[in-house]
Amino acid sequence: MDAEYAIIGGGVVGLSLAWGLSKRGHRVLVLDGSDGGFRASRGNFGLVWVQSKGLTEPAYARWSQRSAAAWAGFAAELGEATGRDLALRQEGGYDFHLDEAELEAKVRLFQGLRARLGGDYPFEVLGHNALKREEPKIGPKVAGAILHHQDGHVNPLRLLQALAADVRRMGGRVLTGQVVTDVAGGDGFAMTCADGTRHCAAKVVLAAGLGAMDLGPKLGFAAPIRPQRGQVLITEKLPKLMNRPSGIIRQVDEGGVQIGDSKEEVGFDDSVTLEVAATIAARAVAIYPALARAQLVRSWGALRIMSPDGLPIYQQSPTMPGAYLVTCHSGITLAAAHARFLPAWLDDAADAPDLEVFSERRFALS
Amino acid sequence: MDEVDLLILGAGPAGMAAAAEAAGAGLVVALLDEQARPGGQIYRDVTAVPPARAAILGPEYRAGRPLAEGLADPRIRHIPGATAWKIDPDRTIAYSVDGKAALIRGRRLLIASGALERPVPIPGWTLPGVMTAGAAQILLKQSGILPRRAVIAGSGPLLYLIAAQMVRAGTPPLALVETQTRGDLLAALPHLPGAIRGWRSMAKGLGWIAELKRAGVPRHRGARDLAVDGAGRAEALALTAGGRRRTIPCETVLLHEGVVPNIQATRLLGLPHRWDQAQRCFVPRHDRWGETPLPGIHVAGDGAGIGGALVAELSGRLVGLCAAAALGRLDPVERDRRAAPLFRTLARERAVRPFLDAAYPPGPQTLSPADGTIVCRCEEVTAGEIRRHARLGCKGPNQAKAFGRAGMGPCQGRFCGLAVTAILAEANGQSPDETGYFRIRPPIKPVTLAEIAAMAPTGPDKDSA
Repeated sequence: MDAEYAIIGGGVVGLSLAWGLSKRGHRVLVLDGSDGGFRASRGNFGLVWVQSKGLTEPAYARWSQRSAAAWAGFAAELGEATGRDLALRQEGGYDFHLDEAELEAKVRLFQGLRARLGGDYPFEVLGHNALKREEPKIGPKVAGAILHHQDGHVNPLRLLQALAADVRRMGGRVLTGQVVTDVAGGDGFAMTCADGTRHCAAKVVLAAGLGAMDLGPKLGFAAPIRPQRGQVLITEKLPKLMNRPSGIIRQVDEGGVQIGDSKEEVGFDDSVTLEVAATIAARAVAIYPALARAQLVRSWGALRIMSPDGLPIYQQSPTMPGAYLVTCHSGITLAAAHARFLPAWLDDAADAPDLEVFSERRFALS
Repeated sequence: MDEVDLLILGAGPAGMAAAAEAAGAGLVVALLDEQARPGGQIYRDVTAVPPARAAILGPEYRAGRPLAEGLADPRIRHIPGATAWKIDPDRTIAYSVDGKAALIRGRRLLIASGALERPVPIPGWTLPGVMTAGAAQILLKQSGILPRRAVIAGSGPLLYLIAAQMVRAGTPPLALVETQTRGDLLAALPHLPGAIRGWRSMAKGLGWIAELKRAGVPRHRGARDLAVDGAGRAEALALTAGGRRRTIPCETVLLHEGVVPNIQATRLLGLPHRWDQAQRCFVPRHDRWGETPLPGIHVAGDGAGIGGALVAELSGRLVGLCAAAALGRLDPVERDRRAAPLFRTLARERAVRPFLDAAYPPGPQTLSPADGTIVCRCEEVTAGEIRRHARLGCKGPNQAKAFGRAGMGPCQGRFCGLAVTAILAEANGQSPDETGYFRIRPPIKPVTLAEIAAMAPTGPDKDSA
């Protein structure tokens, strides 16, 4: 056996698990794909985000809250080990609205979730004037915002790099350019890569993002996931324009303002379109008018990994025990949970979180 | 949206020739170009330059004038001052003129965006007072200005031309520092018989060298370990040549290690490229009519592989003929009849290339910069950091970009792309083709959010715009 755990996928999800498993003393092997693959870990928005998660499934809201709460310690430990500041800021985040009625409708949803969470859902509603005191640069068209105090953001690329470095530092093997094309069970698991190399391990975790669509069924998973495109714009580096992030605009620690996000069902097409870029640019300019003069330096499309209900899937294979599927569209928010709590579940340890609600079986029932 | 028969990006020799040829066959042509006047970099401002300056620049520059004047055809719409920032496989280009964005589409599209000077990442190259030799030449063409007390360093025929132009202008360089070695020349010799077919180019080059000799410009050949010295700005160029370290005090250092295709547009289109080992650069794949695997999209000129102005002009003409035939304006037999002499001249003009490529390769510092040297100027990423990213598993430039921001700045890797690929390829023991290149995304030139927002179908800002 090359390792106790082989993790297919060297993005943030796979590396967070590898990091946590390494902390528990396991020998891990991470098989990472090609330079040009679809990589949500490179294209994501960088939010550590609680609001709007699990509006209809409080367990998901709670799991996100638990991860967000664990993030500070996780970032500190990872940052210290690698000498990298992950630029984590958890000082709250906004949901901006240009329309009063939309804001009110959203507030009612949040109130409903707060009740189901027993009150642990700290948000407040800011009208235009109150918001203006927090964010003096907002424009006159902003009706208001929901400020959720558990939200924040991070530099997701530094997270990716820090994880890649620290898993190696702890003795984990991370092999890149290893596109797994086949995986088979038996005595442990054997992985075959596109270049013909083979690897084996006692257990295998499928954390390959959209790659799980192909590999999942080979391990007995339904893996009912699909790509959903989001387009993102980023401006030149600017002086400080905003104090807190929102779900659609944030100023990254290097100074650029990042603007999202679209939700498009276009299959495996990660290109950018003028129509969407123009629409999200116009919305950003309406919220922060100073952005009109900012130079756009780059845009990109990235593919979310979406399950039918938008929640993560954590599942041990019903037919091939020792194989696990871990997939979600919020790999940054959930990185701390994946690093801190999920390894115990993989180990079937006493302190394992109860993840029954995230099982694939929920799709069979409905 | 505007629609034309042939849409051309770039009004250099390839774009101008394609426009004239296509318009001559009856096509409606639009020619987008960043500059105020046609000519590209090679014939920059050729329609406006005063005679005295034209004399300094020489006959090979003045040769561009008829081409530029050919744009007067009423079927050709020349759109100057246009920055193209998004190009789609359906042959639509989004561009801006004076801060206003517009869309234009061609039934055929020619990318003729030319060449870039290969960046020369030596210690101190980002200091004020250091510029590319080509940038100095543009200053001369546009404004008649040349730096005084300048050292010119690197390799390639253009180095001699610019040095000769400086001599003619009365401000000769303090020294000509050449990085190519006697070994490079020996390696080039087998290509010499082929190059004789292109004897005109060779004779021009020898003429420039003779001009420099007559002017007494000191020449240092086989120079290694170049470094720009200076506190806050360039004060001297240090180098090792003939076994001796020397320092040449100066105010300006002009660097040049040849030109490479500008592939931002063709990469943006997702076109396949191949590594050209002789020219040490990527070139977009295309057939003999310049057509790429994307239907109706052509490349011509230096952007399709470095060949120089005459090759660019000929390849542009071929695209014009091909487009006219494809759109039913020219009988294929007639197309072939007109193309035959162009193909013959093209072969002759290209014959000198293998010799030049072998004799004037980019120096070892350019291909593999020292660890402490900045490679990505926008984000100030050093070669050593790229090598560290390789040790962290980065097999290609896109993961390295995510890890260390090389290529993330406003130039989108236009300047560091080749160096990043070369460093990763060397560090990982892979070929440049295996290593790949940055995924280029729009905008290929910065554009303001207001310009983009104005194109929203129903933007919240529409009413106030």
